[in-house]
Amino acid sequence: MDFKFSEKEEMLREEIRKFAKAELAGKDFVSGMEEESRDEDWEFAMQISKKLAQKGWLTMAWPREYGGQGASFFEQHVYIDEAGYWGIPGTTMGISGIGWVGPSLMLFGTEEQKKKYIPLIASGDPDGVWCTAYSEPNAGSDFANIQTRAIKNGDEYILNGQKIWTSCAHRARWCWIAVRTDATVAKKQHGISLLILDMQSPGITIKPILNYAGIHIFNELFFDNVKVPVTNLVGTENRGWYHLMQSLAFERHSMAPQFYGTARRLLEHIVKYTGGIRYHGKSLSADPMVRHKLAERTIELETLKMFGYEITWKMSKGLIPIYEAARNKAYCDLVMQRLATTGTEIIGAYSQVDMWSKWGKVMGHIVRLYMMFPGLEIAAGTDEVQKNIIGQFKLGLPRPY
Amino acid sequence: MDFEFNEQQNMLKTMARDFLSKECTKTKVRELEKDPKGYDPDMWSKMVELGWMGLIFPEQYSGTGADLMELAVLMEEMGKNITPGPFFSTIALCAIPILKFGTETHKAKYLPPIADGKNIWSLALTEHSGRFEASDVNCIAKYDGKYYVINGEKWFVPYAHVADYLLVLCRTESGHKPEDGLTLFIVRTRSRGVKSELIQTIAGDGQCRVKFKNTKVSKRDILGKVGKGWDMVKYIMQRATILKCAEVSGACQAVLEMTTAYAKDRTQFDKPIGSFMAIQHKIVDMLTDVEGLQYLVYYTAWLLSTGGKADMQVSLTKAKANEVYQRICIDGIKVHGAIGFTMDHDIGCYFRRVKAAEYMLGDTDLHLEKVAVGLGL
Repeated sequence: MDFKFSEKEEMLREEIRKFAKAELAGKDFVSGMEEESRDEDWEFAMQISKKLAQKGWLTMAWPREYGGQGASFFEQHVYIDEAGYWGIPGTTMGISGIGWVGPSLMLFGTEEQKKKYIPLIASGDPDGVWCTAYSEPNAGSDFANIQTRAIKNGDEYILNGQKIWTSCAHRARWCWIAVRTDATVAKKQHGISLLILDMQSPGITIKPILNYAGIHIFNELFFDNVKVPVTNLVGTENRGWYHLMQSLAFERHSMAPQFYGTARRLLEHIVKYTGGIRYHGKSLSADPMVRHKLAERTIELETLKMFGYEITWKMSKGLIPIYEAARNKAYCDLVMQRLATTGTEIIGAYSQVDMWSKWGKVMGHIVRLYMMFPGLEIAAGTDEVQKNIIGQFKLGLPRPY
Repeated sequence: MDFEFNEQQNMLKTMARDFLSKECTKTKVRELEKDPKGYDPDMWSKMVELGWMGLIFPEQYSGTGADLMELAVLMEEMGKNITPGPFFSTIALCAIPILKFGTETHKAKYLPPIADGKNIWSLALTEHSGRFEASDVNCIAKYDGKYYVINGEKWFVPYAHVADYLLVLCRTESGHKPEDGLTLFIVRTRSRGVKSELIQTIAGDGQCRVKFKNTKVSKRDILGKVGKGWDMVKYIMQRATILKCAEVSGACQAVLEMTTAYAKDRTQFDKPIGSFMAIQHKIVDMLTDVEGLQYLVYYTAWLLSTGGKADMQVSLTKAKANEVYQRICIDGIKVHGAIGFTMDHDIGCYFRRVKAAEYMLGDTDLHLEKVAVGLGL
């Protein structure tokens, strides 16, 4: 047992801190899912993406031949944690590309695909922004139920159907899409394929869906005879389900360190806030209820930290953490919900003030998290889906459905 | 960073598991709950032979020089099996502060008999309030010119009735703060005026009320400095607390394991009950609790054995251990249904020990408050 970060990792941490202070001066973000935000935020995020790419951090754990630095998983962990803490925007470029498209292409993409798409993502340019189209109106938690059809016609697939809850589609240059290529199979997990879709192809209609906070993250996508070259097939035709399981695990890996960083910063802000508020003639920070709530939140955060360390360590050992990724996702959700709720209880009536308002407390960050957490909990698989994965993969319990 | 045990830690873990699963069966645990001594001297001497008593002592005191991390590994295994007896009180509560604060004479005199299994020790700290606050210490030690004379009573002193020595926290002067003026005395239980009485506890785990009536202690038997007893209590509160957490972590792992096995085995509505989402997700939550606690314990034990700052980390781990142990047992019993509610089933052996662990070295509220202080609140 040894929980010390190496000297190299600590040096990187210092460098990222310097970068954040220099680049974000005056902009204290804390929690940034840049695709959720306004056009000017997106633009700023993309400027930072470019700088991160130049620093070699954007895709640091990727091999050098793919525009990475060949950094260790622990260096990447430090980077993600610090980026979360400082709220550095642009670290994920709409999530998909850096999160799982790049790593998945390295595993099962063709040489041509690797050469074309991976360096684009690593460059931090807007042409490296991806979205992911998995969900459909009748394929949510029952993800294998997807119906969007891709029928092979010569050297093209012809796409027809509909996707929903597609984050970042309105910003993305490319789409990582799961489609049905064989509708005759007995088991619905078979007959699914993964394609790379050029978002500028004719026949794609993007319709925004505003969330209840009025923020544009999601979109509906409609496909009307959209042509996709067969060379855009990723992996093996009709075996897409198995590639997807791997991609989803990539998606959940980095959640713990990233949210740990963000939440730690938010907690610091909340602690500071309680010190400046008078309540019953004393500082709010002296209130036993407040003290206990914040102590409880700290325990959860420190537990999340350990889960993040554990998964990074397992990856560094060459293991593929499946249940651990699901556990970290589910635990992240719990921590997020409790921190957001406690935060609103501390700012009290000000928790109804809009996150953008000049009257908001703690720079609107608590309200932002409070409004976002139910959606973030559902994204990348609900709590129930994660717990089914843990039940089967770790505990060996029979499938409940 | 490395989450793996080293070779030595692995050997210790395997040895402890093999030994305890053979020697410390649940039948034995139930017997000992009714036994007036509360431990098995035969098993105790075998533990001595395995070198567990002197594990963390330097060689000159008949030990093997292991660190706190290794002791935590051992405590985790003891917790898995439930190992009744005065190991924790002797080693964690007493030997650890003697090693740190004792004079050469103290160490040479008291440590080898502990390593050899000849002496049992315990810490007499808590009083009538049952809490770990300095302000609750009313036991008085008055210097009569030749001896310190102790009067008062201590509660929830583990295994005092079989102990040879006690570390007794007394007030030697009244200071400005409750923490001032406390002194830790080494008291022989055979001394005049010391009387231990077993408290009938749920777990039958040998906790006592100890009365001191004009008990005389020489100056030589003061541990550390007069009036500085609370500094030592703080040290004990760190090291011994994390060892208690390691024990609790082991117990929780065992409860999870038996609950998972039962959910696979037990059939209702023609299906294993573990296939029902309501049951499965409850067990998954137990797993997340258990793994979270386990890693916090390792991390904190590592911090302490490498000399890191760990006050807040110890407290958040203890608060978590308190909450998790109770929740795991309650949910585990619910998954078992009526059978989990019986004396015959092992899960009850763990549930009976929840409160003893929770109130040993500070309850949840006390530790949450320490975390709040650590946060700068």
